[in-house]
Amino acid sequence: MQKDLEIKFLADFEKNQNIAHKICRLYTTNNDAHKDLFQEITIQLWKNYPKFRGDSKFSTWMYRVALNTAISLYRKSTRKVKTQDISDVAFKIKSNDYDDTEERQLKALYNAIRELNDIEKALIFLYLEDKPYKEISEALGISSVNARVKMNRAKEKLKNILNP
Amino acid sequence: MDVLENYKKAWSKQTEVAEKVSTNEIYKMAHSKSSSIVKWIFIVGILEFIFWITINIFTPDSYSFFEIYKDLNLETLINIFTILHYIVIIGFLYLFYKNYTKISIADNTKKLIHKILRIRKTVRNYVYYNLAIIVLTSIIINIVVFSDEDKMNKFFNPENLTMSINEMITLSVISQLIALVIILALFWLFYKLVYGILLKKLNRNYKELIKLDS
Repeated sequence: MQKDLEIKFLADFEKNQNIAHKICRLYTTNNDAHKDLFQEITIQLWKNYPKFRGDSKFSTWMYRVALNTAISLYRKSTRKVKTQDISDVAFKIKSNDYDDTEERQLKALYNAIRELNDIEKALIFLYLEDKPYKEISEALGISSVNARVKMNRAKEKLKNILNP
Repeated sequence: MDVLENYKKAWSKQTEVAEKVSTNEIYKMAHSKSSSIVKWIFIVGILEFIFWITINIFTPDSYSFFEIYKDLNLETLINIFTILHYIVIIGFLYLFYKNYTKISIADNTKKLIHKILRIRKTVRNYVYYNLAIIVLTSIIINIVVFSDEDKMNKFFNPENLTMSINEMITLSVISQLIALVIILALFWLFYKLVYGILLKKLNRNYKELIKLDS
């Protein structure tokens, strides 16, 4: 039984791991911290997986658990923090054309979002992931109206950082 | 078109090659030890319970304290007090554990932070309770002692130094107050340090979430 659950979990998580990586990229600034947060997210997902009833999609549940871990559970690692940036490989774009505009945009976007506070990061992240307001407000525990107001402010702030 | 829409397009096209981990690595990670804030709050909370229970167990057991209570005819009162005290401690432990088990990472963020902060509040109230007990006990002992000159001599001046009653009262009250201030200052420092580190982020994010609702 445990074994089956484990196999299912590993398959589900492996398929959706990009969600966690994106969150790690937004909430940390170096590779060590990225790995650290990713590990904590993995631990939390696995620990709570038996309670995941499947009445929502695995990915929906994972957005919640991973964001909550980044916002509420993750403590900056006490390990020595290297000042090295996330490697540029992280910002590769799916494209065959030789055009680095979008790659540069993506890098600028990540850097800009990192300047926002934890809640604004979550809002912008869910917006970029195309999540409906209903899901965003449910994930954060604020009303739909408040989610909208806060989202608009976060977007404005982000635009100002991107184009000062 | 909104300038962010362009960025959003770039966002949706990003690949996942960079940090991709294998199922084998995921398995290893899933079975490693968590170092989450909740875990630390839980550990610090348990340590605080142990700390105060240790103080409770060892202080009244020391011979001199019992002698003092006996001398002051406070034995029965202290016994009743102790039993009540342990019931309250068990109550706190139960609340602490119950609040801890209520935490679910799949809750919405606001509810989750609220629940985490509630565990911490339980421990804080527990510490307040213990400090209140210390102050209350000292006040009771002081009242009993000050109401009887013989007792006062025995309690505050066992060496029989020549001192007037007023001097004795002033001296004992001042020294007790100094001790109290030092103890409170130490606790305050400890709390600022430990919980300051642990809760800074939670408090900040919680405030951010409730700012709009207020």
